[in-house]
Amino acid sequence: MGEPQEWHFAFDFYPLQSPEHTRIWPFFQHLKEGRLTTTRCAKCSSLLWQPRVVCPHCNADAMEWVDLPRHGRIYAFTAVYAGAPLGLEKDVPFVVAIVELDGVPVKVVARIDEARYEDLKIGDPVTLKIVELADGRVWFRFVPTGKPSSPA
Amino acid sequence: MRRVAIVGTGLTKWGVRNATYKELVQEAGKDLFDDVPNLDKKHVDSLFVGSALVDRLAFQAYPAPLVAEQLGLTPSRMVMRTEMACVSGQSAIRVAWASIVAGLSDVAVVVGAEKMNTPNMAETQASMACVLDREWDGVNGLNAPPYFALIAQRHMHEYGTTEEQLAEVSVKNHDYAATNPYAHYPKRVSREKVLSSAKIAPPLKLLDCSGITDGAAAVLMTHEGLAKKYTDTPVFVEGLGQAQSGSLVVNLESLTTWHPLRRAAQEAFKMAGVTIRDMDLAETHDCFTISEIMEYEDLGLCEKGQGGQFVMDGQSRIGGTLPTNLRGGLLGCGHPLGATGVAQAIEIVRQFKAQVPEDRYVGGEWGLCHNLSGNANNHALMVLRRGG
Repeated sequence: MGEPQEWHFAFDFYPLQSPEHTRIWPFFQHLKEGRLTTTRCAKCSSLLWQPRVVCPHCNADAMEWVDLPRHGRIYAFTAVYAGAPLGLEKDVPFVVAIVELDGVPVKVVARIDEARYEDLKIGDPVTLKIVELADGRVWFRFVPTGKPSSPA
Repeated sequence: MRRVAIVGTGLTKWGVRNATYKELVQEAGKDLFDDVPNLDKKHVDSLFVGSALVDRLAFQAYPAPLVAEQLGLTPSRMVMRTEMACVSGQSAIRVAWASIVAGLSDVAVVVGAEKMNTPNMAETQASMACVLDREWDGVNGLNAPPYFALIAQRHMHEYGTTEEQLAEVSVKNHDYAATNPYAHYPKRVSREKVLSSAKIAPPLKLLDCSGITDGAAAVLMTHEGLAKKYTDTPVFVEGLGQAQSGSLVVNLESLTTWHPLRRAAQEAFKMAGVTIRDMDLAETHDCFTISEIMEYEDLGLCEKGQGGQFVMDGQSRIGGTLPTNLRGGLLGCGHPLGATGVAQAIEIVRQFKAQVPEDRYVGGEWGLCHNLSGNANNHALMVLRRGG
């Protein structure tokens, strides 16, 4: 995978991921290990998305990392055919969706690879896919469950 | 509490303009100052500038002093810029209102301005996409059109709304834009043309989307005691409401019901002592066709899920339940982010002053402005009343 990144910081959509830049760096470390994770508040047990350093419900700042399911279902989806932001123009058309993760009250926004808009419907099962960027950073997408590249 | 009125209006031609941010501001200022010949600029003590993305799209931070210089103003009391993405314009009016009510300002100029077209459309789109949470939503290629496409898909899934119903919003608003000399797209379109327009983010097509537009708008605001000095027909801000909830797309209360709109409307109407049924006309934020359909529903003009039928039945046209977006809306006029909220108010004022073409004139006494921003996580409403 991986694409050269030709744009400046002010046009770079991907989060800075290393410990010198962010306190949620373990999220990205876990992605490299193939795990989608988030934080749960150690005090009130709220499951938080995105990963946080302070709980917005009880104000505690003790968090624990928990694994999220690698499978989910499409809640809503579309495809970007035109008007893509800088850095994504070459990818059009691409599918972007809201995915409801299996068994937990967490939805995530993600691109759906290896799928055309026409082939998808609400409720379709999808599986996590990790994407490595050219500069060593990582991100997550999903693919329709059952695709050859979809890990079991 | 001091009553606050809009007593003068100024607009530029909207479109892909061969003009810079500062030049657009000058044009809107000229139109405003021509409209209020009794104004001595020395009496303008405050300036509020609504611009959403001037930092990125014009590579210009700190726009308020720059706008003051363009307009020949030297504000002595309040000067600031308001930034709430697509609600930056109504935010500027709202803060001007609060400042006048508080006695911090007596005579205020409000400017909404945006230069959206840059030499690189992908740069403009990237700057738009970072209105969403850039690291978790924008990063996935989510931007306004695909986000509102998700809403449209869910609305169709849950309520049976159709692409033809979406298209009818665009048809109506282009009908009204056709006689608006300030509009970016002053041209009628057929339903077939909307349905066959270029694929952007299905189910949304090009003519379901508001345009990338340059433009500016300006109003003069003051308190009741000074209003008649500037106009025979002051238009009073009688009610305001704003509510915001959520940021990440997946953490919003709902995709298909805009709860913050409902709460903001309740507050605005309560403050004005009227209801939606008292409105003679409305400007609602039709950034996409689906938006206007949801606004009918969440303003209580029809049952939830019936917004599509509402527009098909002509209920939002002149002669219907509530004539909506008679200037042509964002779909017909385009959407220079910070300018939109100000231009919506100007349409109500010019309607009340019979300064619009006869074919889309409604006039009346009460008008509603609704402005939304981001992923529809922020809604601002204003209830305006004709004075004089």
